[in-house]
Amino acid sequence: MIDRYIPQERLNYLWMLAYAAALVFLLCLINLQVLMASRYREIADKNRTQIIAQAAPRGRIFTSDDVAVATSKPSFSLIYFPGQLKTNLELESLASGLARQLSIPYEILRNTLFKSARKETPVRLAENLSSRTMLSLSELKTIYPGVDIIVEARRFYPFGAYLSHLIGYISKMDVGEWSSRGKDKNYTMDSRVGKTGLEKMYEKELKGRDGGIYLEVDSRGRLSRRLESREWAPGADIYLTINSKAQTAAEEGLAASATGKGAVVAIDPRSGAVLALVSMPDYDPNMFVAYQEDRDQEKLKNLPEFNVALQGTYPPGSPFKIITSAALLETGKVSIDEFFNCPGYYDAGSRKFKCWEKKGHGKMSFLDGLAHSCDVYFYNSALRVGPLNIEKMARQFRLGLPTGIPLPDEKSGNVFGPSKRAAKKSYWFIGDTLNLAIGQGETLVTPMQAALMISAVANGGVFYRPYYVEKIVKGEGEPLYRGKAEELNRITLKDSTWNLLRQGLKQVVDEGTGQAARISGVEVYGKTGTAQNPQGKDHAWFVAYALTPGRSAEVAVSVLVEHGEHGASSAAPIARAVIEALFKEKRPSGKAAAGPVTGAALSREAPVSNSEPSTSTVKQGGV
Amino acid sequence: MIFTPQSALKKNRMDWQLFAAVIILLALGTVAVLSSVAVLPQQARIVRTQFIALPLALIAFSAAWSLNYQIFQDQWRFVYGLTLMSLVAVLVFGVADKGARSWFHLPFFSVQPSEFARIGLILVLANYLDKRIGKIRELSVVLGAFLLALPVFFLLIKQPDFSAILITLPIILIMLFAAGANISHLAIILGYSFISGLFPVLWTLISMNPELLDNQLVNYFFHLSDLSWNAAFFVCGIGLAAYLLWVLSVKLYSNISGVVFAGAAIVISLGLFSGIMVKRQMREYQQKRLEVFLSPETDPRGAGYNLLQARVAIGSGGILGRGIFSGTQSRLGFVPERHTDFILAVIGEEMGFWGTMLVSGLYVLLLRRIMNTAKLARDRFGYLVSCGIFGMFMVYFFINFGMILGLIPVAGVPLPLLSYGGSNMVATLTAIGIMQSIYARRYALV
Repeated sequence: MIDRYIPQERLNYLWMLAYAAALVFLLCLINLQVLMASRYREIADKNRTQIIAQAAPRGRIFTSDDVAVATSKPSFSLIYFPGQLKTNLELESLASGLARQLSIPYEILRNTLFKSARKETPVRLAENLSSRTMLSLSELKTIYPGVDIIVEARRFYPFGAYLSHLIGYISKMDVGEWSSRGKDKNYTMDSRVGKTGLEKMYEKELKGRDGGIYLEVDSRGRLSRRLESREWAPGADIYLTINSKAQTAAEEGLAASATGKGAVVAIDPRSGAVLALVSMPDYDPNMFVAYQEDRDQEKLKNLPEFNVALQGTYPPGSPFKIITSAALLETGKVSIDEFFNCPGYYDAGSRKFKCWEKKGHGKMSFLDGLAHSCDVYFYNSALRVGPLNIEKMARQFRLGLPTGIPLPDEKSGNVFGPSKRAAKKSYWFIGDTLNLAIGQGETLVTPMQAALMISAVANGGVFYRPYYVEKIVKGEGEPLYRGKAEELNRITLKDSTWNLLRQGLKQVVDEGTGQAARISGVEVYGKTGTAQNPQGKDHAWFVAYALTPGRSAEVAVSVLVEHGEHGASSAAPIARAVIEALFKEKRPSGKAAAGPVTGAALSREAPVSNSEPSTSTVKQGGV
Repeated sequence: MIFTPQSALKKNRMDWQLFAAVIILLALGTVAVLSSVAVLPQQARIVRTQFIALPLALIAFSAAWSLNYQIFQDQWRFVYGLTLMSLVAVLVFGVADKGARSWFHLPFFSVQPSEFARIGLILVLANYLDKRIGKIRELSVVLGAFLLALPVFFLLIKQPDFSAILITLPIILIMLFAAGANISHLAIILGYSFISGLFPVLWTLISMNPELLDNQLVNYFFHLSDLSWNAAFFVCGIGLAAYLLWVLSVKLYSNISGVVFAGAAIVISLGLFSGIMVKRQMREYQQKRLEVFLSPETDPRGAGYNLLQARVAIGSGGILGRGIFSGTQSRLGFVPERHTDFILAVIGEEMGFWGTMLVSGLYVLLLRRIMNTAKLARDRFGYLVSCGIFGMFMVYFFINFGMILGLIPVAGVPLPLLSYGGSNMVATLTAIGIMQSIYARRYALV
């Protein structure tokens, strides 16, 4: 059309406007559907799915001789899916039926069911059903559609408190843990996580991937249909270096000691592998698995989480004489044939320092002095050797340094000596030298450090980082991780020093204070100790290593009995039991021992088949 | 007159590109509607209406196509009367639904006369502008056009059907613009509409942030909405300010006419007045929509939530879409009004980027063909009608896409040819039929 009044180019402007708008829309759509698509897809999927998680079995934990100390048991939860049962009458009859079986008050069940039916969201009615309840419930299931039982894996520690300080325990997440783990899709609000020990350190490996029933819900959260159920993948199994017999012997021995408190550490001097690790008092980690807020808060408060073997620091007492001896022999300032007289005390002028033997030992040379742990002999020789040399030797033996075992919150103890004093701009007295020589005063060690010290004597001065995980295995095939010896430090002393030291330690056991640790057919080298404790009765120490004649040392043990008074009588027998268990391959007997053995048999047929979650109960019934 | 062979004329009775675009859009829309209502309780009714409306719409299309469009110019009084009559009748005999009395309920379906009123108004306005095209550059013609539309607006407000007004107002402006009206006149009207919209927006913003009221000036401004002496003083103040500015400009020897200052003052005052009216007339849900637009975070489960869910739906479709009948966002009810205003979200989710591209591409083609037809029209009336229909599709396109993509406030505006809605579909296809009629009766062979 050609018209003199109509400016047709105006239509072109309008067209250009439309075209420009279309381009803007195009850019918006590219942004939405191409660039941000995955983000929106995620939101959309989150919108519509709700997951009833089925906790996967955590990885099992085995000792080196294949005793399962932590496994999983099937645990059954009862779930109600709204849909078919709707009328109040039906729900009430279901509630009364369930109330009888589950021993949950009827009113609570009824309200839960009503709420669930009204909101049309599934609800978990009960957890951890016993097998007897299960049987009667499976009957109910046929009467009431919509009630379903799902299987989950629940942590189970077959021997209760056995090895508890190493294994740790699992429990519900607290707020902080939830905020750090909540992003991980593998965790839900009621997931259990490792709180301490192995369970915490290897949470990632042990956890596995939870299975779940995926539900599709509509915009009001109502169940629209069931999607697939994802199967779980069990966590990786951990094999420890712990020897169950040694561990049993140590636990039994410590439990039977005067106070039943203390620690036993046994390591392999050839690698640093931990063979036994006991800390008492201990706890049963099973009690947190079925966690109930109010009931367990109290227990948690009184939980003996303190790991004596790593966190307890004590004056080393006489075992420190090993270090004093090493300094003495290495410096050569005292001849080993030199005699010092022991009248039962040492007169330091202003004060008399007693020997533990009030009557006195008489004339003592090096070997006798060590064998009988004569304090006066060491007072005299320490003055000759000089405190600085002893301090240096203590540092060489890595006192005051954490051993580096991969467990949380290890203490490093304390080294005491003139250089430390100097650093603090304080004075060093003669009495300090005397205290230092016999391991009293400010020196503090943990049982683990003591074990490392004696292990260094056994292997000729090598310090390994203690480790307790032999391997981590996921399914078939190569282990994910294999523990290996890690040398931290090596001290070089003269051969004669080592030989004499060992000779002395052997004499301690053969004819000295450590005779309680003697075992026929096994060479045991040890040193007893009594750590003075101003707060109460003295602590009893015993450190030892053992070997079959003609071979290298296979175990180094340190035992601490809190308030056990005399190392010779209360600590040495425990060490002996541990060594005996390792060398004699003797079957342990008694209460605690019966556990692991039958447990080992049980663990072969692990209660929850770790590969195949039985979701058959899940797939039937329901909506 | 150009000689045209008979055979050539027969060939081009129909704009096939336009027709194809319309048919594809209808098909896409029907699929999307079927998918989105699949789980709704009122599914049966919606599907039935859709399949009643489709043949009706095609019949209306054919009728409008075969009818010479010039008859609408001839009978403009009849068209205008019918439009007003239907709007009056719906107020008397209509049924209230969602707070608006805009429906006739018939045995099998409902009819919404405001959809047809829009087409009627376009025809009437085209005739009016055609008759007065010689004086188009005078303000009186522009005001006359609005005067002609005034009864229609009055009846729409009575229902009230705000979204119909929202669509119709820009159409009038577009028709005036295309007819060659003075730009400054249009600017005055645009400024007036802008100011009458701006005041309610500012007041809403203030009421959303009450701490602003501590400021004396803000407080004073907020109370202008009360229609008291305050407002009267404000108007006087504006008049005085305009006068002073004029005096100043004279002193500065600028040659800006005093009419400009007077006009500005009048526009601002009138804008304020109608702003107050708008504010007082606004329903609660409309107030809410405005608030959500101004700050989408305020209401996570309300209108803002709906908009977000629509965006999630479109975005989650990605490039290829989640497959027809398998969009979770729309089928599980996360997207509101999914078969009507948010139909694009369903298409975006189920057919992906290609789906939304196809829809916007077809819309652009549709506009292109309508513009083409306007230029080919036999007479001025045909040109003006085409411009009105062009404007109608353009406004729908802008508002619906803009709303879903979050560029403008949430307004209940459907996307013609795609959204569910029988009356809208029949009215839209009538408009397309008129376009085809104009095309078929064009002059030249192009």
